[in-house]
Amino acid sequence: MKKIAFAALTMIALLALIVSGCGAPAPPPEPTTPPPPPEDTPVPEPTEPPPPVEGTPYKLGFCAAATGGGSSLGMPERNTAEMIKAQLEEAGGVVGPDGLPHAVEMIIYDTESTPDVASSVVTRLIEEDEVDAIVCGTLSGNSLAIVPLIEEAEVPLVSMASARSIIMNPETGETYEWAFKTPQENFHSGIWQAEYAEAMGWTTVCDLYENTGYGQDCLAQTTAAMEEKGIEVVYTDSFERTDTEFPQMAGVTGAGCDALIVGSIPPGASMATVASREVAPDLPVVQGHGVCNFTYIELAGDAAEGVVFPCGKLMFADLLADDDPQKEFLLQYIADYTEFTNGEPIDTFGGHAMDALTWVVEAMGSLEEGLTLEERRAAVRDYIETEITDWPGTGGVFNITPNDHLGLPYTALGFVKVEGGTWEYFPPEEW
Amino acid sequence: MQRLSRSRSARIASTVAAMLVLVAIILYLGHAKGFGPVQYVQLILDGIRGGSIYALIALGFVVVFNVTGIINFAQGGFVMSGAMLAVSFNQLALPIDPRMKLALAVIFGVVVTTIVGALVERLSIFPARHSPILTLIIITVGVFIFMQGIALLIWGADPYYLPAFTTLALEDHIIRIGGVMIKAQSIWIWATVAVVLVALAFFFERTLLGKALRACSINRRAAELMGINPSRMSLMAFAMAAALGAIGGIVLAPATRPMYDMGLRLGLKGFVAAIMGGMISSPGAVVGGVLLGVLENVGAGVTKAGFKDIFAFIILILILLFRPKGIIGGGERGVEE
Amino acid sequence: MQKDGWRRHQVSIGIGVFAIIIIMLGWIETVQPGGFKFADITGGIVTFDTLVRVGILTIVVVGLNLLMGHAGQISLGQAGFYAIGAYVSAIMTTRAVNRGINVFFPGAVPQDWWWWPWLMILAGMVITGTIAYLIGKPILRLKGHYLAMGTLGVGLIIYILFREGSTFTGAFDGIASVPRLAIGSFEIWPRERYYFLVWAVALTVMWLSLNLVNSRVGRALRAIEGSELAAQTMGVDIEKFKLQVFVLSTVFASIAGSLYAHYQTLVNPAPFGFVGSLDLVIMAALGGLASIWGAPFGVAIIFVIKEVLRTRLHDFLHGAGGEHEIIVFGALLVLIMIFMPKGLSYGVTRAVAWFGEQWLARRGDGEDIESQVGQVA
Repeated sequence: MKKIAFAALTMIALLALIVSGCGAPAPPPEPTTPPPPPEDTPVPEPTEPPPPVEGTPYKLGFCAAATGGGSSLGMPERNTAEMIKAQLEEAGGVVGPDGLPHAVEMIIYDTESTPDVASSVVTRLIEEDEVDAIVCGTLSGNSLAIVPLIEEAEVPLVSMASARSIIMNPETGETYEWAFKTPQENFHSGIWQAEYAEAMGWTTVCDLYENTGYGQDCLAQTTAAMEEKGIEVVYTDSFERTDTEFPQMAGVTGAGCDALIVGSIPPGASMATVASREVAPDLPVVQGHGVCNFTYIELAGDAAEGVVFPCGKLMFADLLADDDPQKEFLLQYIADYTEFTNGEPIDTFGGHAMDALTWVVEAMGSLEEGLTLEERRAAVRDYIETEITDWPGTGGVFNITPNDHLGLPYTALGFVKVEGGTWEYFPPEEW
Repeated sequence: MQRLSRSRSARIASTVAAMLVLVAIILYLGHAKGFGPVQYVQLILDGIRGGSIYALIALGFVVVFNVTGIINFAQGGFVMSGAMLAVSFNQLALPIDPRMKLALAVIFGVVVTTIVGALVERLSIFPARHSPILTLIIITVGVFIFMQGIALLIWGADPYYLPAFTTLALEDHIIRIGGVMIKAQSIWIWATVAVVLVALAFFFERTLLGKALRACSINRRAAELMGINPSRMSLMAFAMAAALGAIGGIVLAPATRPMYDMGLRLGLKGFVAAIMGGMISSPGAVVGGVLLGVLENVGAGVTKAGFKDIFAFIILILILLFRPKGIIGGGERGVEE
Repeated sequence: MQKDGWRRHQVSIGIGVFAIIIIMLGWIETVQPGGFKFADITGGIVTFDTLVRVGILTIVVVGLNLLMGHAGQISLGQAGFYAIGAYVSAIMTTRAVNRGINVFFPGAVPQDWWWWPWLMILAGMVITGTIAYLIGKPILRLKGHYLAMGTLGVGLIIYILFREGSTFTGAFDGIASVPRLAIGSFEIWPRERYYFLVWAVALTVMWLSLNLVNSRVGRALRAIEGSELAAQTMGVDIEKFKLQVFVLSTVFASIAGSLYAHYQTLVNPAPFGFVGSLDLVIMAALGGLASIWGAPFGVAIIFVIKEVLRTRLHDFLHGAGGEHEIIVFGALLVLIMIFMPKGLSYGVTRAVAWFGEQWLARRGDGEDIESQVGQVA
């Protein structure tokens, strides 16, 4: 009899151990309490008379392509995320409308520039880390892979990649409910290129693009914009980042076009510029906004001289007029980023992360206390959709509407020219 | 196979016919793109330059295969390591003449990579020397992945650059002859290939060590019986292959922007070149490399550049299936080894 | 005779035990007893998503095991065949449904044809098998390194064709919004349902392969692996057997590809390049080239390493990302091949057998355990 009692006690103790052992790392109680007694949830507040010193902690998921093919874009994005993470930790999170401080935990992952990994880490963010919002996706392909996941799970996503199909179903033209993005689009870039071509009086252009999703989108958008202006794209071909020979240049000289448009990011963009200068030194070269970082000039050297391209205002913030709505935000970001990274060069892509994260953090600051995870996710989404209007960021002045989850006109980009190893503001008046 | 070897003249005739058809297709496609002689000459010259690099890498494959019977997938890793090490050395702020510094950087790249090659052999191939070929292939693949990972850790994913040998700047000196341009670096590359070929020929024909290596490649068992230590020969072969790969990577570096992942594509192309040359012949590897470079560059020029690699691998498969002993027929082992 | 019966028994028991583990894990995730999820078992390191992916790749790796471990033929282009399955499913269930691009009959596929995606999985298998047959016939004449390079070339050509396929394959962006699978109105989603589907297929494939290995065909294959010449002399039609196994392995890859497409709902060329093929070979080698049982473990080990490094490495090494996992993979591959060329599972079974022997020897009746354990592997 004693033996049995002893065994029972041991069992209970073991069970208790297991339960407590599992309980310790268990996530916040939201997922287990979604079906609370109806309409009773507001009542518990008076049962906790001492007002809580801290509100519910929030979680923000971030992932960028810190390695792999998109790393030159992903690294500044991750640096920016780490900067904001440090700022949030220092400030103790965000202060809600109720005046309570809410800690914000930022969880940072690497998508390795592949869609499989991107969708794996986003699944992890949604299901394991139970984040309130996600900022993820350096490359368009990776972002496209995660859009179905966040739509299904109803989690707001702000992507840092440029393709329009991230926020809009290309088949139906419907705007996705939960997906937003911050970068200017290749279409905006294309309009600038076409306007410049028209101003220069070119009638035929050649287009080379890097063999990536970004490059292909550049080609499509440039072609569309050029055709609208009646400029013919007579020769197009792709190249690889790793190419050492450029047989494409034979096609360009053979086609005899007035100018060469390149849609690429460094180092491929630099190599294409060098190849073009070598074979046809007098052919004007126009790039897309993917070369808006100093790596491009560094790797192209003198060949980059005279190249023109549209570029986000972040890259020439100090040249902007003082009454420019973006100027203050831009200079602040530049100062913070340079200090945080010990002098890493400023990069447009870091700016895209800055905009995205600032939206989400701002949205979190608007959350009422006592919402469930699902409600918080929905509230963040609604805030971004309705409150981000006339909002000056690094990418431009955003005006998000239910039908446009980017909200930028093409004039959000400026136009620059490479001169003397750096770039100069090159507005239409000077063309 | 029997049909093909039915008669020598029929074979030559069919080869010539196939080549004529190929040239006709190229000319037709080129015409549609508005190509003139200038474009063709440019495509061929660029192809020869790229092909020369393939040739240097192919020589590394040939040396290792001859002596050990292994195809060393890590060869691409040596190419990358040579280029990246030279770049790093050249970036050091040393108070010496830049010309001197570049020369030292080249030597540094080659020497360190050679040591890496020897280490690779001792640490991975030697302990598994009695394993079947399948295992050895996978081991060299593992070594390659490992090297690339280490390079990523050291250099990150950023592209670097090495100054052109002639101008010591990012911009190379360009020679223009009637619309055709040749980079000064191309001449450096061709001269390097020529010097390496002569040096290899001298080494294998005139030195004792070279003769021992050659004996190993003709009959390993017999060489062992004659007192040649095959393990030492294997070490030698890997070190030499690493040096050849590093030289290829370094002379190529100014014409591209070296990155940690540059080895994969170059290694594969080098292998295709080696196969084209019959896998055991040094001159064959050089011819194979240059031919591959020209074919893929002209092919990509007249069609779509995205298909560039397809040409290389279609050539590879055709060669494997129809001319397993290589296009110049130097190979003795072939598929039926 | 008795031994033969025991062996059949072993396969069934093994599959049964495996199935129970799979069902247990799935049950935990579905029911979540006390809010306890699968990921909590592993301390949040491995997620359920990973288990599904392990299942999908297990199907490919089992095929690769048959090819490499049992027929002795290397394939460095298996990701290409995996891609064909994925793309056939993706193209035929999106383009065909939405835009009526359809090879069999004019017009778009009605939305209520739930069986259409399933049919397309079969179509993918047939197409992949046919392509593999046509390619395999000449390519399998090659040996050793040459076969490795030939298959590598084929894999890369397939990859480039998909990448350059412009609007038909969606080029780099690939094909998005691939529908979920369903039976009637029963959708095989959320993830837990899909998990059971994937692992049911994976276990079936394993079971088929184990039976194949223990059959006449398996013996012929082992003879080929040992010495092709000897096998030929003994009257084994090696060409035929090699080709059959090659086609079978690509059909497995195709099924996995289709399952991947319906799981990811997006197919783009990125996972199907040379690195994809290499990953598969590493997984096969890690689990043991000749070990069907090793396949899921080989895949799982790689995934766990990836997940651990992805979520933890950044803490140790500032600036290091998930891609640094390749250092570990490279080193692991070399070490395994040098010290355990038959794979981890073989090494482990050998160790178990050794301990068992010691134990039996102490008890005094030394039965030949090692041979039995060897058969399981």
